[in-house]
Amino acid sequence: MSVRVPAVRLAILITALVAWEVGARASNPLLYVPPSAVVPALGRLLALESYPDLPASLLLTLREIALAYALAIAAGVGVGAALGLNRLLGRAFGPIVAALYAVPAVVWYPSLMLFFGLDAASKIAFGFLLGFFPITLAVLAGIRQVNPHMLTVARAFGARPAAVFAKVMIPAMLFTLVGGLRTGLALTVIGVVVGEILGAKAGMGTLINHAYGLFRTADYVALVCVTLVLIVGSDAVASVVERRARRWTE
Amino acid sequence: MTDLIAVDRVGKRYQTRSGPVEALREVSFGVGAGEFCTLIGPSGCGKSTLLGMIGGLVAPDTGRVLVDGRAVAGPDPRRVATVFQDPGLFPWRTTLENVEFGLELQGVARARRRAVATDLLGPLGLREFGAKYPRELSGGMRQRVAIGRALAIDTPIVLMDEPFGALDEQTRLLMGEWLLDIWRRTSKTVLFVTHSLHEALALSTRVVVMTARPGCVKSVLELRMPYPRAMESSAMVGLRAQLWSEIKDESLRAMGEP
Amino acid sequence: MDRVAVADRGRVVALQAVTLLALLGLWEGGARAGWVDPLFVPAPSAVVGAFGRIGRDALAGLGDTLAKTAVAYVLSVVLGVAGGLALGSVRLLREVLNPFVLALYGMPKILVLPWIVLLLGFGTTPAIVYGTIHGVFPILVLVAGGVRDVDRTLVSVARAFGARPWQLYWKVVLPAIVPTVLAGMRLGIVFCLLGVLIVEMFAGIRGMGHVLNALANGFQAPELFAATALVSAASIGIVLGLDALNDRLARWRS
Repeated sequence: MSVRVPAVRLAILITALVAWEVGARASNPLLYVPPSAVVPALGRLLALESYPDLPASLLLTLREIALAYALAIAAGVGVGAALGLNRLLGRAFGPIVAALYAVPAVVWYPSLMLFFGLDAASKIAFGFLLGFFPITLAVLAGIRQVNPHMLTVARAFGARPAAVFAKVMIPAMLFTLVGGLRTGLALTVIGVVVGEILGAKAGMGTLINHAYGLFRTADYVALVCVTLVLIVGSDAVASVVERRARRWTE
Repeated sequence: MTDLIAVDRVGKRYQTRSGPVEALREVSFGVGAGEFCTLIGPSGCGKSTLLGMIGGLVAPDTGRVLVDGRAVAGPDPRRVATVFQDPGLFPWRTTLENVEFGLELQGVARARRRAVATDLLGPLGLREFGAKYPRELSGGMRQRVAIGRALAIDTPIVLMDEPFGALDEQTRLLMGEWLLDIWRRTSKTVLFVTHSLHEALALSTRVVVMTARPGCVKSVLELRMPYPRAMESSAMVGLRAQLWSEIKDESLRAMGEP
Repeated sequence: MDRVAVADRGRVVALQAVTLLALLGLWEGGARAGWVDPLFVPAPSAVVGAFGRIGRDALAGLGDTLAKTAVAYVLSVVLGVAGGLALGSVRLLREVLNPFVLALYGMPKILVLPWIVLLLGFGTTPAIVYGTIHGVFPILVLVAGGVRDVDRTLVSVARAFGARPWQLYWKVVLPAIVPTVLAGMRLGIVFCLLGVLIVEMFAGIRGMGHVLNALANGFQAPELFAATALVSAASIGIVLGLDALNDRLARWRS
């Protein structure tokens, strides 16, 4: 039975590709972009013929992501720790953070564009906003689930508050924390890409917009593939880190 | 000879949902150096609270607690080590790393703490388990690691709050014998909280019996028989009856409480 | 409620109120003193005034957005629950399709947005389609998981009493997955709304997303803040409402 399943999946994949190819050719190849058009477009893209500034755009997008994520971690861990360690702060502001998380983040984007303009800053700000919430909530949840007896034991052995935090709290909440960091990364990446597509001067999103605007659909699909690699790649790295954290804390 | 641990008219009140509760009232007793002193009494009589005070985790409302002549102002890992009923091992640390914990906090160099911990594995009976994680150890083993952690910082006083309470009877008996052996070898001062009459009589040099809540000292028994104790001897049987009669009243009072 | 808890709650509310007032005060003071450029950061008083000016257009936009979201939501729930039931019940289907579903679920939908707009143009249809795509996957994955996790014992008991397949579904599986479906529905509404707003910002002629975009492009800061606050409040309100509904439905359960 288990031998057949991958075979069936492969069959489905091939059937889908074939159907897509035939259907696209038959109706409107420009609009529906058959796979046979995507491959050469990818080739042109990677050879930097269709979009010579691909490396620069990719680099810019990556830098925006890196900066946004770093800010999200710093703010997220800081606020999460403050809310988690201080009961009053946590009960007062925890629900507010959770409520803000329920707002579709894209609502903030026009305000960010107004404030920061169309430059990288608004994308970084948006990516930061998206990544901040899951990280904060994960830190908060992580701290709350630490077994209080561990903290008592540490205190009994003379640990000062800083040592209690570093040697007991952080390892005890590591798994939850890393899960939150992984979600935060995924959302930051999407935030930056969405920001670039909705309005930017440079970066992968602008290339995608450019191809779309000029009806260069094959190039558009190729660009989407490259961006997809970026997104999936970053999450793959994060999941490896998460798995390692799980092994360490179980 | 002044006592190493002196508890002087200590009182403690708690605020609970149904109003204030007096846990301890005018508790006074002492523990001399090198003694194995047991605190025994019904549930809720404040034994754990008392231990917490000596260990610096809880402050008395009235009275004072002196260790080595000095008032207790907080956890003092140079003089007092504590073992709890829940071993409280850190699941992300191996046996050796858990044993080293106190030393690590005191800034002892890595090689030295590893050496101390490794040397303890033998007496702990955990020689092959140094690199194991708590989840791979049985309940008795985990408690031995917790005791090892307390022994590693080599304090003159070791407090133990029902350390064998969560173990099955057979393991308890074996652990008791093992603990006695360690104590006799290291000549530390042990303050041991338990429910078990057997443990009190088999292990201690002094038994402090506490009343039901609000807890205070009901009586103190000195036991000077040699080790290992002959639990079936007539003297011991008589002592057991005496101890039980003291405790039984208090237990009934504690059970009858709302 | 006992005294300890009431006093605690009082402190919490007091802290929230004090913080809010302090922030508003600082913001208003800063705007008036000229610390921040009113073009980018309007004073709270200006924002309040702006509510009146944008009132009608903003509410119309919001209504439009919510209407599209509602349609997308219904589609998401129907497709998501149906798909989830299918995937969760038929093991073969699940094993074969699982990687595809997960891939589609994890794929950032924003990347196909320009293509959808190319296909369907500007306006209502792409918004509904994209909103549905956004909302259907979380619901589907959640429901499939819920069906799969239905307690085997319950199923065995029902079978032992002679339940036929459709009875099994109606009397055991569906009631058992109600909490999961509700959780999925709560998740789905946010995703649908998000999807609709994104399309409106990208290529909308009507709707809140477009209103926000236009206000931003026109550098109308007070109006933009007011509109943002409006749609945020609506969103929080919807989620809180669903939560309350959830709680009421769950009262008989736990």
